[in-house]
Amino acid sequence: MKARSIESPLFFVRRSTTSPGLLFLASLPIAVIAVFVAVMIWVSFQRGMLGTSGAVYTLENYLALFGDPFLYRVLWNTAVFTATTTVVALAIGLPIAWLAERTSIPGKTAIYAIMTLGLLIPGIYTAMGWTFIAHPRIGFLNRWLMDLFGLQDAPLNIATPVGMGFVQGLSLAAVVFILTAQMFRAMNPSLEEAAKVHGLSFLRTIHRVTLPLALPGILAAVIYVVTIGIATFDIPAIVGLGNRVYMLSTYIYLKVHPQGSGLPEYGITGAVGACMIVVAALLTLLYGQVLRSGHRFEVVTGKGYRPALIELGGWAAAGWCFIGLYAFVSKVLPLLLIVYAALTPYFAPPSIEMMRHLSLVHFTNMEWGLVLRGARNTALLVAVVPLLVLLFAFAISWLVVRSRNRARYAIEFAAFLPQALPEVILAIGALLLALFVLGETVPLYGSVWLIAIVYVAARIAFATRALNGSLLQIHREMEEAAFVSGLSTLRTARRVLLPLLRPTLLSVWIWTALLVYRELTVAVFLGVHDNITFPAVIWSYWYAGGMNKASAVTLLMTVLLAPLIAAFWWLGRKTPTATQ
Amino acid sequence: MISVRGLAKEFPAGGGRVAAIKNLNLEVAEGEFFVIVGASGSGKTTLLRAVAGLEVPDRGTISIGGRVVSSDAPPAWIPSQQRKLGMVFQSYAVWPHLTVYQNVALPLTDGTHRVRRGEVEKRVREALRLVQLDQVAERSATLLSGGQQQRVALARAIAVNPGILLMDEPLSNLDARLREEVRGKIRELAKQLGSTVLYVTHDQVEAMAMADRIALMQAGELLQVGTPAELYHRPATTGVAEFFGTMNWLEGTVTAPGVAETAIGPVRFEAEAGIGTEVLIGFRPECVALLAAAAPEKPNVFSAALKASVFLGDQSLLTLALADRVISAKCRGADVDGGPLRVWIDPADVMVFSAERRLAGGAADSLFGARAAV
Repeated sequence: MKARSIESPLFFVRRSTTSPGLLFLASLPIAVIAVFVAVMIWVSFQRGMLGTSGAVYTLENYLALFGDPFLYRVLWNTAVFTATTTVVALAIGLPIAWLAERTSIPGKTAIYAIMTLGLLIPGIYTAMGWTFIAHPRIGFLNRWLMDLFGLQDAPLNIATPVGMGFVQGLSLAAVVFILTAQMFRAMNPSLEEAAKVHGLSFLRTIHRVTLPLALPGILAAVIYVVTIGIATFDIPAIVGLGNRVYMLSTYIYLKVHPQGSGLPEYGITGAVGACMIVVAALLTLLYGQVLRSGHRFEVVTGKGYRPALIELGGWAAAGWCFIGLYAFVSKVLPLLLIVYAALTPYFAPPSIEMMRHLSLVHFTNMEWGLVLRGARNTALLVAVVPLLVLLFAFAISWLVVRSRNRARYAIEFAAFLPQALPEVILAIGALLLALFVLGETVPLYGSVWLIAIVYVAARIAFATRALNGSLLQIHREMEEAAFVSGLSTLRTARRVLLPLLRPTLLSVWIWTALLVYRELTVAVFLGVHDNITFPAVIWSYWYAGGMNKASAVTLLMTVLLAPLIAAFWWLGRKTPTATQ
Repeated sequence: MISVRGLAKEFPAGGGRVAAIKNLNLEVAEGEFFVIVGASGSGKTTLLRAVAGLEVPDRGTISIGGRVVSSDAPPAWIPSQQRKLGMVFQSYAVWPHLTVYQNVALPLTDGTHRVRRGEVEKRVREALRLVQLDQVAERSATLLSGGQQQRVALARAIAVNPGILLMDEPLSNLDARLREEVRGKIRELAKQLGSTVLYVTHDQVEAMAMADRIALMQAGELLQVGTPAELYHRPATTGVAEFFGTMNWLEGTVTAPGVAETAIGPVRFEAEAGIGTEVLIGFRPECVALLAAAAPEKPNVFSAALKASVFLGDQSLLTLALADRVISAKCRGADVDGGPLRVWIDPADVMVFSAERRLAGGAADSLFGARAAV
């Protein structure tokens, strides 16, 4: 047999198992995010004709920002808001997670169903619903309480930092649940059993063993919620903006979309963004640190380990009351009020009298041109973004998990970064990039594709982590067996790897599609006219004072959302790893 | 059939680099069942994966069937896909999304060595028949037991009519009883097909039961290559001797041709050793024969006292005191009473190692210490 050697300078390229195409796919989204951040920092040091040779480089933006007394009001509001959010989310999410994972409470599938649905229902729904409930002027609960006790002033006010924090907390309780339920599940029950056997009482076991073990997990959840809280836009926008209560995110919004005759202050926006990046990076470092200290406690458990569950007895009913109350207050009641508002001509507290005025007037009078434009843009985003996310995330995951490429550590770290960057930051970065760098040459400003790029960049981190997990579970030898059997790399991917990854790919696809469908922050920051999305239509009605119209569009959007949720559900039953 | 010359491979480990294979040479003849045996971390799997094209060696040349598949000078690399191999992985790597039939068929329909459509069916059926899985061909691969999955992997490996079969600890995930049964079947099948097999295991019994020739690997090097009998009875070092079975060790000095003075008295042996050298005398427990009390006097007969005896069914494991040394012995049956015994060690069974060589091998050294302390 003749030796068929390949003698070429390409030898070393051939030897490495990584193709340059894959490396390109993996670095592209990371490069985009880096450009967003770089442009934002660059613009934050400019005055005058931003992004041109006429720009003056100066610290003035930062000086103006920190010299603005209003900023400190905003920071205080944001702090109160974030603290409330954290307390409420933890007070609800943590006990439910404990109930679901460590006790004998019946109906655990239902608990998971309720909490996952909690993740899927957008925060703006809760925010709109709670405006109808507890707004000082229109909130029906306020009216009822005032009538009941003969009060002069409304006792509840949702349009305060504490009120908004409460609503945001209701929304994020589901996130806390998912994070801490994982932690309770990973906790080795034999550690508690050892305490019991050696004579510690139930309370002492909780105090000396369970809590110290759970602390890193709880702390990590707190940091996660705080990271979201300081930059979240939709609830502060829905509840606060119309009532002139501002958070950091809505403050930025005003700088970009000033009311009245003001001009957008992009330089200052860049400065706020740059500061937020620093804070977000610090929080992420802290998060990683805490998680790592948590892993220290993890004890490898063998197969077939079943956690010993705490017998609740009659307390199970109390547990379910708590869960039921949460579901009612955070999901059912707000949704009912949105339906009610959509079907009544103006908003008044629900009464038998009002039931006579039910009508479809908001649907018949709807500006269908606008709504259809929003629906079309959102449909386009839902069709394109999840596929791109999967493509990029697969390239990143494969490089990180499978290859021995030197760049893989850098890529892994970079792919996690967007997790740290709030959507507001990415939106500003994209906006400044489109306005001051791309400009006329690549007219992305006002285009739905600009929104698509930000969505892809923002969702990469989650998708990569999900795929990393699955890829790690697929034994490397599955692919090697294909190579040895003579299958090319492409065929190995098509015939072996992708079929094995299919459940994860599908669940990441649906999850991304859902988040894209409901996303408001980026859509509002980047939305101009042609590229308005479905949620942004709701927002524009609401912001203009058309609460009932906004509710009507919300109802429409929810009905259209149902098939997607059903698909998510069906898949979730088949693969338990559907969520975060 | 397989030729490995000057192979070297390092892995990065904790900042530095660890050599998995150091300048290794190996020749496997056509049709030979060749087993590489060694403890975990000895580099045996790396060697197999280098032959498979799953690891890229740092230096050295590998040829299969006269064709250079991997070389650093002149640079050459034939990817795994074109080496025409069959391989059974330790995890079996049976594709869980495919049926048994599809698992075996995929290399034939999608691989480099594709065959005609009509031929696929024939080849798959034949492979499945050989491993006795033709009854479950349409079943999902995940519904099979460990032993069945192992056979699917084997069927997949032989279906492509590979030049060589590579096996990476294919039996390590099976339970002990099944393992014994399957190892006979694998050897039988390989001989029936006339395949050249490169087989990796950590189990010395498995290696001896299956191999035409064995290579014992340690720390990236081959300690000895030979037939199972050669490695068992004529180990090159004390390390090799220890690896393939229990040893009794005695330090001694050669005082006359074929005689060494030891703690239990003069021991005769048949090997060559220069007079005056310090030696290490070794013999296996089953080479210690119990004699009747009235047996005639002859060389290498020692009187012994029974310290302990463990009945194992087919044999008994005895702990004996010879003078002030303790040795172990194996004998058939349990008819050993507590009285004084006489034992005989056949000079032909006595191994002799130079004491310096023993000191070179750290593992044997410590084992020796442990045994002397019994």
